[in-house]
Amino acid sequence: MLQNFSYQAPETLKDLYALLNKSNGKAAMLAGGTDLLVSMHNNWISPESLIDIKKIPDLKGVTFNPKTGLSIGATTVCIELINNKDVNKHYPLLVEAAHHVASPQVRSRATIAGNLCTASPCADMGCSLLALGASVELGSADGVRVIPLKDFFTGPKKTQIKKHEVLLRIIVPAEMAGAKFGMRKLKRIKGHDIAVVSVAMARTAKVMRVGVGSAAPTPVVTADLAASTTLEKAIAAAEKVICPIDDVRAGAEYRRFMVKEFVAQIYSELF
Amino acid sequence: MKITLTVNGKKYQRDASENKNLLHFLREDLGLTGTKEGCGAGECGACTVIMNGKTVNSCLVLAVEADGAEIMTIEGEAKNGKLSKLQVAFKKNHAVQCGFCTPGMIMSTRALLEANPKPTVEQIKQAIEGNFCRCTGYQQIIEAVQDASGQLKKKEGLKRA
Repeated sequence: MLQNFSYQAPETLKDLYALLNKSNGKAAMLAGGTDLLVSMHNNWISPESLIDIKKIPDLKGVTFNPKTGLSIGATTVCIELINNKDVNKHYPLLVEAAHHVASPQVRSRATIAGNLCTASPCADMGCSLLALGASVELGSADGVRVIPLKDFFTGPKKTQIKKHEVLLRIIVPAEMAGAKFGMRKLKRIKGHDIAVVSVAMARTAKVMRVGVGSAAPTPVVTADLAASTTLEKAIAAAEKVICPIDDVRAGAEYRRFMVKEFVAQIYSELF
Repeated sequence: MKITLTVNGKKYQRDASENKNLLHFLREDLGLTGTKEGCGAGECGACTVIMNGKTVNSCLVLAVEADGAEIMTIEGEAKNGKLSKLQVAFKKNHAVQCGFCTPGMIMSTRALLEANPKPTVEQIKQAIEGNFCRCTGYQQIIEAVQDASGQLKKKEGLKRA
């Protein structure tokens, strides 16, 4: 049995916001639960209440609009993204990234938004969405605000979400549709494992970005580079944003080396 | 909270504690103890069940979240005392040693075969990437799934039951 908590499943955003305001930071959002319930199982956290957001229609679904881009609702799970035709056609990097998330059992429950809100430095969706220049829409009773994903993460397991806010959707810009891309995830085994380092790159006619996971306190991304950036400059830009540490999975030096190696490998696929 | 769910085609209505996961609900409230608890944290896959057509770790689903769901567990495999084709293939190919991972393995490979009746070895490996087996080394499990999907070539010098 898990620790005691109350469970609520609001059906509208209005009800959700009312619950959030009432709970004053003592509630946790439940979507996929693949991270939240593990943290509770291990007694790392003990929220007073769980607010299940899966019944709220406004938070569901993936939609693509050639003018405004891709919108990924907060309760969209990995499998949904992998099977979505528009995502496969316009943003295949996200399909590859979602495939890298854990195992089939987890992919059928875990949400893309949850992967971001957990804010693990190794979040598989983090480096890919950063490379695509995504932003997140946060909502509360006070209104909605959109912030670039690169400013969303503030530290390991820390984000800009305030206690009365919820992530509503992830927005991927239209100009990144059809971008050339590549991703690498270094793992200790071929199957289900978290990243030792991960690198995702996207390039359009105008811009190139390198997103990196497991090599800094949060997933990180280079500044917007010119589409014609040389390999040396792309590597230098990636090196500038990472600050890897030694831990149980790998040493900092090895991580730094592999980030550079992966940037070189992917770079050759972008032209 | 009162919940209604269908497990292996049978409808159940029960009062479920909010802090009970689906795994414990199946084992303790419905008496379906075929599904096992390994890590309790979504790593090992021993508790895998099929929920609305997709495999899930039942340790990471609250019972109350399964309200209205269709669940398949290992108990749904054998019919009238007869093992399913997949179970027979596991038995025949020595894909079971201690047996603890088997219910989860069967559910993951069941879901695979429902979606893809002729999976490649690579696809089988991907389907069981979230299921740990510490006995077999996986090879026999892969062969069992190939066998169940009619793709196993006969091995020379190995007498098959």
